[in-house]
Amino acid sequence: MLEQAFEALKTYKWGIDPKGIKPIQDAVVATHGNAAARKELESKLAAALDTDIPRAAKDSVCRFLKTIGTAHSVPALAKLLHDAELSHMARHALQTIDAKEAASALVNAIDKAPKKIKIGIISSLGARGKDVPVGALAKIVADKDPEVSAAGALALGALGSPESAKALGLAKVNDTNKVAVCDAMLQCAESMLAHGKKSDAKTVYGKVLSIGPSKAAKIAAELGIKASA
Amino acid sequence: MKTTRRKFLSSSGAATAALGFPSIIPSSALGNDDRPAPSNRIVMGGIGIGNMGRGDHRDFLNKKEVQYVAVCDARKGAMNQAKDKTDAKYGNKDCKTYADYRDILSRDDIDAVHIATPDHWHAQMIIEGCRHGKDVFCQKPESLTLGEGSLMVNTARRYGRVVSGGSQRVLQDYRGTVERCWNGSFGKVSSINVNVGPMSQPCNLPPENQPDDIDWEMWLGPAPWAPYNSKRCSGSYSTSGNSWRSYIDYSGGGMTDWGAHHFGGATFAVDVRELQPNKVVLDEIDGKKFVSLKYSNGIEITHNKPGVGQMRVGRDDVKREGKEIPKYAGSGGITGDFIDCVKTRKKPFRDVEYCINTMAVPHLATIAYKLDRSLEWDSAKQQFINDAEADRLRNRARREPWQI
Repeated sequence: MLEQAFEALKTYKWGIDPKGIKPIQDAVVATHGNAAARKELESKLAAALDTDIPRAAKDSVCRFLKTIGTAHSVPALAKLLHDAELSHMARHALQTIDAKEAASALVNAIDKAPKKIKIGIISSLGARGKDVPVGALAKIVADKDPEVSAAGALALGALGSPESAKALGLAKVNDTNKVAVCDAMLQCAESMLAHGKKSDAKTVYGKVLSIGPSKAAKIAAELGIKASA
Repeated sequence: MKTTRRKFLSSSGAATAALGFPSIIPSSALGNDDRPAPSNRIVMGGIGIGNMGRGDHRDFLNKKEVQYVAVCDARKGAMNQAKDKTDAKYGNKDCKTYADYRDILSRDDIDAVHIATPDHWHAQMIIEGCRHGKDVFCQKPESLTLGEGSLMVNTARRYGRVVSGGSQRVLQDYRGTVERCWNGSFGKVSSINVNVGPMSQPCNLPPENQPDDIDWEMWLGPAPWAPYNSKRCSGSYSTSGNSWRSYIDYSGGGMTDWGAHHFGGATFAVDVRELQPNKVVLDEIDGKKFVSLKYSNGIEITHNKPGVGQMRVGRDDVKREGKEIPKYAGSGGITGDFIDCVKTRKKPFRDVEYCINTMAVPHLATIAYKLDRSLEWDSAKQQFINDAEADRLRNRARREPWQI
């Protein structure tokens, strides 16, 4: 059944019944706890990404690798990151693969990515959190494109670390990225509060107020200052 | 009330005068009927205005405290129909239409929005709405994934926003069960069973010619790209392949769609609205799998337990002292509750945190069924215990350029 399903992948275009590739999903579940079988399954899936199977097939392979992918799959997925059609689904897997290599692949793809794809990669780094270097995102917050800068800010906010707050404090704020920068700083301050660092949080809330925030962010910062007392 | 709202209304009048039309101000606009004066009205817009949005639009439009000013939808027909209804209600042409919801959220004069898009948009719009200072009423199910929940609650709290879910059935449909649980006549309650489904499925429908009416990129939004197909985006209530409610990328299927109602009613009845389960036990009776979701206080919600009826409550029938049943604020059902809370800044009956705790039940159950194993959930950390693979299923990457 599994062999037939991999065969079905070769012609799996939009409109083909997903039942033909369901045995792969079944194998994803059935191989839990069986390292050898998992490795074999992952290898086959990663190899499939390096072939000319249809887009819908590669899309599905990325979905399977989201659950079982390891560092072994990262090179095959990383190759798709600059592909306008497949970048998103490659991130679908890389965002959750619990290996430093996955985070590195995302970081390394940023510089040469076109704007829209770049924003997607940055978004995945923020959502991923683990193994993401603050420095890479700090550089993005300083990007002259305000939409890219906003994406970097939100990713730093998702990390919520003191280092993130420091990087955000250096951001050049404009009308396009202001909502994102303020929200990111507020997230960092919340994280500080959650760790009992009231004074640090209050400082960050104060910084939000000092950059001329929107009415919403001003309310949020004032709420935060009360909570920091 | 916000000065920006007054500013908008006065600038509308200025625009009318500039165009040379006689400026006839209806007495209602001056607050001479039973409507509040314009400066005291809640200025609203609607995002996702067909299907369920149509009913919500009607409800809000008919509220005297509301001034409805904007509509947004990926389908032009639905959007224009809503504009026409709004304009007809007020006897003017002032309702603005937007193809991009961000243009509604960036309007400073708008206080609140209601959202009735497909589920894959809910978290994105709620979070962005809060960041822009909007109060939000969102149709159920409020989240598509487990991981979206805490982000939505945190953002609502960060900005001090009123965010209400949209299941009117939680209070309405299970009244008898809720009353007997809360008034003590059931005695000590230990469990409740919910029968609902199915789970959503992968979608690989063939491409079809895309009608001019729909902005397909905007309809898909943060969901994976896929070719247009009328069944993929149909708003019908089917969960068996004929609507977006059937498919993983846009919905949890009946499990979350009707599940938002049923699990909402169940968590209300047994009063675990403030909690999330900490154990998800996959079990089997006569070859039929079912899930038991266990709470730290000993309460258990079962899903599709063979031989057990819908909303069947496990109890000892030893009469105990009752407690007051929470109810809507204001008048006019769940939308009236939202409007009242926008004014008072109190938590609505379906506060976003209750909704997210409700949605955690079907999301957790779905992950257990998909992985075919029992799970333990740390609700404080919002992660599974010793199951990194299950953790991977909490979130999905958003299609570029969408980010929360």
